Amino acid sequence: MNSISFSKVSVRVVVDGSDSPKTLLHDFSLDLTERRIGVIGANGSGKSTLLRLINGLMEPSEGAVMVHGENTVAQVRRVRSNVGFVFTDPLSQLVMPTGREDVELSLRRSIKNSMQRAARAEKVLDRFGLLPLADQSIYELSGGERQLLALAAVLAVDPTVLVLDEPSTLLDLRNRELLRRTVAGLDQQVVMSTHDLDLALDMDRVLVVESGRIVFDGAPHEGVARYRELCAAPLPGATLGDVPR
Amino acid sequence: MRGHGFLIANYVRGNSIIHRTPLWLKFLVVAACGTASFLIVDWAVSLVIFTVMCALFMLTGAGYRRLLRAIWLVAPILLVIGLFQWWQLGGPTAARIVLNVLVCVVAASVLTATTPVQELLDGVVALARPFRRFGADPERFALTIAVMLRSIPFIAGAFSDVRDSARARGLERNPRALVLPVFITTVAYARQTGDALAARGLGEPERD
Repeated sequence: MNSISFSKVSVRVVVDGSDSPKTLLHDFSLDLTERRIGVIGANGSGKSTLLRLINGLMEPSEGAVMVHGENTVAQVRRVRSNVGFVFTDPLSQLVMPTGREDVELSLRRSIKNSMQRAARAEKVLDRFGLLPLADQSIYELSGGERQLLALAAVLAVDPTVLVLDEPSTLLDLRNRELLRRTVAGLDQQVVMSTHDLDLALDMDRVLVVESGRIVFDGAPHEGVARYRELCAAPLPGATLGDVPR
Repeated sequence: MRGHGFLIANYVRGNSIIHRTPLWLKFLVVAACGTASFLIVDWAVSLVIFTVMCALFMLTGAGYRRLLRAIWLVAPILLVIGLFQWWQLGGPTAARIVLNVLVCVVAASVLTATTPVQELLDGVVALARPFRRFGADPERFALTIAVMLRSIPFIAGAFSDVRDSARARGLERNPRALVLPVFITTVAYARQTGDALAARGLGEPERD
């Protein structure tokens, strides 16, 4: 049961000014059982859509997504309590003015007693080395600290699956390494989209998404090589002469 | 994105008499100040209440700088309102209206400077609990307040960023170059916040 399964899933959205819906993800089936799964692909290829299906942030137009046996549409609330989601920009995710308050906000549903909640929040912040920064404004934190805080706020409720949507995009090399080490040490099943190919190589399995289709599913080294091939191919209709100098 | 320009003061740790005052009493004072702003007709009375609220703020130990900052941030709007009211209704009425708004801002600052946000949210939940019988979710009430508190500095920050961008392009006098991007940024921020809250299972209606 400890798997994320996509069964004949496709996603289409209605676009303003267009008669026919746009297909974001074409019909696919997958069963994700590995602990670390990487999703790579170009911008707009459908990576985020794929990830959002796991948390129920997006509903499939056809087919079904099951997370550990629970349907992401019919049992969305239970799915979301089991699936933590970290966005690219932590500032859009952190709701409260300080880290301590944001972690406590995550715990409001599960711990009603304010003293217990505060104690638990302190423990979570300590685990991620964020206790000295707990009462600082989120705007005073560095990008890496913010991303770590967003991760801590999501992990505070002990999800069984962690989904990260390009978590290292806004980070410098040092913070990227910090995030990489932190993610490597997590007990949760992790599904992560990334443009960082080194990070992708740490995964147990890699999916390559291209124009809404999963064009590769397998070992990280082969997946990264496949992605490099795709990137090396010229864009349809584009030549170097089109690039303004 | 800069996230400054907070309209009311953030929580300041302390053990002042105001910090130790029960939350319900602080809520009551803020509500009373809000109600009084409709009832007071004499600007001198407004001035006395404003002075009292400023004294209460100073008792919190948050310092005069935070008080001045809270007032400074609403000053441009109050200046416009004050001038308009002076022109329309005369000096005493303008002074009363401006002072009454300031009383509300300082009262809210006293509350937020002496109450941790989580305690504030617990208070809102307790206050909204009687509405549960009508189908209301007190936690969603609290979450709304939290998001509101968070959104004010974001929008102020968005305005600063957009103004800088407009300046860099020589468009600082073009209202469309200021208003439209702030509007679009704010709508995008609202969508992102909604997604982030939903992803964390906060504020979600029961569906299963």
